[in-house]
Amino acid sequence: MSESALTQALELTKLALLMNYKIYSPQDFPAYLPKLNALFDDLFSGGKGFRSKLIGLVSEPLTLAHSTQTLLGQTIEFIHNASLLHDDLVDRSHLRRGKKTAWLKYTPEYAVLAGDYLLARVMVNLSTFGNIKLVQYTSEMISDLLAGEWLQDSVVGDYFVTLEQLDRIHNLKTASLFKWCLRSPFIASEKYDKELHFILNEMGSILGLLFQRSDDLLDYDIRNDEGKAVLGDLKSGYLNSVGAFLSKGMSKAQLDNLIKATTLAEVHLAFADNADAGKKIFTQKIAEFDEMNIKLIDLYNHHLENLDKILVGNEKALIKNLKPLTEILYWRRKPSS
Amino acid sequence: MPTQYLTLKKNDPDFLNQLWGRTETDKRAIPVKTYNLGTEEESVTFEVKPISDIQKPSLMKLIVALVKLKSFILILFPLFFVLVKNSVDNRFFDPLSMTIVSIATILLFAGLNIRNDVYDHISGFDRVNLDSTPKPIRLGWISAHKASRISLILIFISAFITIPVMILQLELIRVISVALILFILGRFAKHNSYKDRYFAGFILFMLIGPALVSGYQVALGAGVDTEVLGFGVLWGYAVMFLIQVNNFSHIMTSSQSGIKNMMTKLGFDLSQKFLIVCWLGFIGLWVVFHYNYASTYWSVFGTILLIFWSLPLFMKIANIKSPMGSGLQVVRKEAYKTFIMMVFLFFMENLWVIWADLI
Repeated sequence: MSESALTQALELTKLALLMNYKIYSPQDFPAYLPKLNALFDDLFSGGKGFRSKLIGLVSEPLTLAHSTQTLLGQTIEFIHNASLLHDDLVDRSHLRRGKKTAWLKYTPEYAVLAGDYLLARVMVNLSTFGNIKLVQYTSEMISDLLAGEWLQDSVVGDYFVTLEQLDRIHNLKTASLFKWCLRSPFIASEKYDKELHFILNEMGSILGLLFQRSDDLLDYDIRNDEGKAVLGDLKSGYLNSVGAFLSKGMSKAQLDNLIKATTLAEVHLAFADNADAGKKIFTQKIAEFDEMNIKLIDLYNHHLENLDKILVGNEKALIKNLKPLTEILYWRRKPSS
Repeated sequence: MPTQYLTLKKNDPDFLNQLWGRTETDKRAIPVKTYNLGTEEESVTFEVKPISDIQKPSLMKLIVALVKLKSFILILFPLFFVLVKNSVDNRFFDPLSMTIVSIATILLFAGLNIRNDVYDHISGFDRVNLDSTPKPIRLGWISAHKASRISLILIFISAFITIPVMILQLELIRVISVALILFILGRFAKHNSYKDRYFAGFILFMLIGPALVSGYQVALGAGVDTEVLGFGVLWGYAVMFLIQVNNFSHIMTSSQSGIKNMMTKLGFDLSQKFLIVCWLGFIGLWVVFHYNYASTYWSVFGTILLIFWSLPLFMKIANIKSPMGSGLQVVRKEAYKTFIMMVFLFFMENLWVIWADLI
């Protein structure tokens, strides 16, 4: 099989997986709503479905019913994609997953309505499932996600924002979904132990931060195997977590050079007059950034050890499933073991 | 080697030992994450570090950070004001008592500053409201236990050396008794710290304002008068404004952690308006004080300058858009700068008074 055919097959498999989540209830996506189906298929076809896979990794050791897994997978993908629909419109982004964004391809009105529709379906299906704690927690997660979006928008153009402040925003915007992926299968199986949920919450928070920081590194072309556009955040006035880390302690002139940079070579020149020296300092700074995140991974493993102590029976298989996530999410590589 | 972590719940017998640093002598547990602050479910994750791995600053840097040297202006300028006022009024009757009380106040203030850090560390205020100011306990430079002992020693020395002054100036006993009662009431009233409760806030205003200047003036044998009390009100108000600005700069982290204060109660938008009104109120008090106790020249010239220097502060408070971005720190710095300029104005005014008295 040629490489392009293989890629196409993989894309189709991913699409099929995501399409599994499209319909949980027969009332999802009625045929009489114009363009909604097409908009949904467009949006979902490029996604990796990582969050729903995470649901699967947690649900499997809990032997959660297949239909419940579908419901949870649908919930997280719908919420995530609703946030993308709205986010693209707020940011006036033109591309999403390499394709024209929904608000451009259809209309801004359709993009807003489609996002609202996805959120509404989540609430309909979850309330039908009947676990009020799950409904409440999901609503809290959506509220956190929106608070994070709101705050993130308020720091666009702020080039003195600190990493600690961005972490708080990312904890709301990105990590809230990861926390939900880890906790919701337990809530769905009516396991409400406080200690358990505290640990899962913290692990989700760390995974969210690592995922976000790794994504922010792509903006500086670090481990950018998927070929994401470089310096997109910086050009749109958003100093992401890597930018905040790099700019710490910079003089005003250096910061000015950094925020005006349109290429990586110009970013390097923000650190030194000489391109080679600048690149060396930049590489050193990225190594320090990685070092900081290694400590965060150690903290994740510390929580994982504590989780192992309170899981019982088959649930212990969860540890094996959760262990490699930091490698995948931060280092963007297959687990070494 | 992986970083060593330890997570403890509030009900764990070792929880307070780790926070106080009363554990292994070669290791220190530094809190890195606090969860469910102030609730029964509160827990803390510590990074356990060998003491040898902790980068220690020079002794001077440690002392400056520990006693918060920058904040000493809060007690030294009122001292300067009282000295100038009473020198000019020829009421400087007891230089010895005044010198002892000044030293005692400095020691007491240093001790209370350390105590405040210890309290904020144990209660969790400092563990959730991270800022750029170096906090020696949080950084692991010193254990809370040791810092607490140093603070107690300083407070004890301060109390001890004040005893002879209380014999020389009996009225000082009354001032100290009132201050002590206020202090004890404040400890009972507060939840997270003096910065967080309205009544405790009022007590702090009384202690750093009217009580402080009354104590100075009584110590030099001049008794209390309305001018010094007026200055105390003005000073206490300005310090409280700085505290409100500090709380504003932590509005989001405090809200998320359930810390209650005026700023979290008002919310972001109303707090901005409140701070502007608050500083306008200060300018109003400044005018009233100068109208009653200063020359027309300083009342007019000083007020115009103060308003002019306050404009950037008003603009920065009004322009801040996010409860999360760098604007919060900008407002905090600007408020401190405006405060220092106000002090500078007062300082120049006092030099003018001395000069006018000499000629």
